[in-house]
Amino acid sequence: MNPESPEHSTNGTDRVAEFDALRRLLVGPEQSKIEELSEEIQSRQPSAEELADKLPEAIALRGSRDDQLGRALGPTIDIALRESIRRDPQEMATAIFPVLGPAIRKAIAETMAGLVHSINAAVEQSLSVNGIKWRVEAWRTGVPYPDIVIKRALVYRVEQAFLVHSETGLLLEHVSAPDLSMPDADLISSMLTAIQDFVRDSFKPGEGAMLRTFSVGDHTVQVEAGPRASLAVVIRGNAPESVLRKQQDALETVHMEFATPLADFTGDSTPFLPTRPLLEGCLETVLTTSKQKHPNAWMKWAIPLALVVAIAAAFWIRSTVRWNRALNALRDEPGLVVVDASRNFGSWKISGLRDPIARDPASVLAGIGMTQTLTGKWEGYLSLDPVLVRARARASIDSLKQSVESDKILFAAGSADLDAAGIAKLTSIANRYRRLEDEAAGAGSAASVELIGRTDPSGADETNAALADRRVQTVSRWFESSGIPTSHIAPRAIAAAQPIAAPDSATQARVNRSVSFRVRFSPVRNQDGAAR
Amino acid sequence: MIQKKICMVGVYAVGKTCLVQHFVTGIFSVKYLSTVGVKIDRKRVRVGEEDVTLMLWDLEGRDALVDVNSSYVKGAHGVMYVADGTRPETVIAINGLRDMVEDTVGNIPSIIAFNKTDLTEQWAISAASESSAGGEDMRRVRTSAKTGDGVESAFQWLAEQTMAPKGGAQ
Repeated sequence: MNPESPEHSTNGTDRVAEFDALRRLLVGPEQSKIEELSEEIQSRQPSAEELADKLPEAIALRGSRDDQLGRALGPTIDIALRESIRRDPQEMATAIFPVLGPAIRKAIAETMAGLVHSINAAVEQSLSVNGIKWRVEAWRTGVPYPDIVIKRALVYRVEQAFLVHSETGLLLEHVSAPDLSMPDADLISSMLTAIQDFVRDSFKPGEGAMLRTFSVGDHTVQVEAGPRASLAVVIRGNAPESVLRKQQDALETVHMEFATPLADFTGDSTPFLPTRPLLEGCLETVLTTSKQKHPNAWMKWAIPLALVVAIAAAFWIRSTVRWNRALNALRDEPGLVVVDASRNFGSWKISGLRDPIARDPASVLAGIGMTQTLTGKWEGYLSLDPVLVRARARASIDSLKQSVESDKILFAAGSADLDAAGIAKLTSIANRYRRLEDEAAGAGSAASVELIGRTDPSGADETNAALADRRVQTVSRWFESSGIPTSHIAPRAIAAAQPIAAPDSATQARVNRSVSFRVRFSPVRNQDGAAR
Repeated sequence: MIQKKICMVGVYAVGKTCLVQHFVTGIFSVKYLSTVGVKIDRKRVRVGEEDVTLMLWDLEGRDALVDVNSSYVKGAHGVMYVADGTRPETVIAINGLRDMVEDTVGNIPSIIAFNKTDLTEQWAISAASESSAGGEDMRRVRTSAKTGDGVESAFQWLAEQTMAPKGGAQ
């Protein structure tokens, strides 16, 4: 290179070539390395490790887009499953056991549902006829009552359930009826397993075949085996198919819910404590026949029914007693005639006749301590009952007496003469008094009338006294002329002594220039006295 | 509750049944051995903080030969081989029994009990055959069902081994 004339001695192309040569000299090795690397990057496949990281995400991503992945994997999975089952069928059977069992049984159960029924009755049937009979028997023989019930009425009883680990024969859990104690359940569990093995080895049945039930006396042992555990129940009596179904259900649930503890079992049964409720679900006691059902069904209702009837009867009797008492009181009441009476749910309808002066029916009932609302209609009538007649007469006499006593005959100042109004009034008063005398005589008493003569306060007392006397005489004469016996008239001139009160002095003076009346009664002495 | 299945294995009349008789709780009679071929008893031991119930499966060969039903060994957590110290052939039989056990349940905690040590006069096992019986890593004890010597400790050791984590010492 010539530093003095670079631009003159070379053209552009030469220079590029020179630079290239220079670059090759300076960074040639690195450049080829970079080219190799970039080629490698271009052609590079993800490593297994990277793929493992990305795979789940990639599958999820593709799966959310379309079904291609499923379609692509389908045949491979089929082959994998086939291969897996071919290699170890037991493994697959174990895996699907909890799913398959219920599905198959459900289908069967639905078909059978209409045919299957069982009779259930509780042990506590103390009120039934048989219950009492058995209690007597228990008392007489000294055998415990539950034993008698079982002896007489047992259809079947699932007394115990053993959950047994299949491989070791160790007891995982055991439950028994409350009255049974089983201290050697673990030994029995192991022996059950040993007997299974013994039977299998002795008779060499097919694959998976096993001793499912065996009976001793009235006891039956029913064994249901699963892949990892078996459930054996001890039954007394003849158990229906439903017991086996319960047993299968329980065993499948155990396999499903306790899959891990079952697989990892090395002798510690603690994780299987929660299976107790499942096993207890298999225990049951079913007693007796339908014969017993009828008296029981009846007995169940007898006591409440009797109570209801007794209460209703008590109410009815009480209400009837009240009703009769009320009717009697109304019938006995003067002036009331009961014509029609009915009652309906506490409402009383009583209709009849009622004298206007008779007591109100409601007050008659109140008088005997009953506050009862009455409906119904009472028509008016006049009663001839002596009490009513007397009462009516007294009422009439009282009213006449009041009418007579409330009137007075007014006079002009200083006068004892009747004016026209005075005459008319006096005529009316005399008539009323005569009627009063008649009615009083009818009621057994004699009437007399006091004529009270007054004056206003003005004037001398002697003058006033004389004036008052004249006024009384005027009225007295009029009464006598009207036919009222003189002996029935008591003149009494009091002048200004006891004046009638009035709001003002003018009115007072006017009303005191008068003769007023007071009626008196006395018992009739005899016919003559009354006449004279 | 922890339970372990222990198999007692040995040929006819080595004293297995006697060995456990005084140390266990059982409800089944000896005649089970001749009928079903197994009699199950229970023994409670304490390992550390835990109560362990050993379910002892007493397996009897149907004749003098090695003919123990291998089904009964399934799932066992431990095995006790029993030999009669006065009959050398019962020791030799253990090798065959051990093969059967290992074929069925694999390598599980095991112990050999040389029984009838009380019969010192009639002891017929050489030290060499005693120390080699059942293979190299086998635990061996001498027991006497009559005096009770060694019986408790044999069960205790076996229980502890079954409770040890997997791959623990044998």
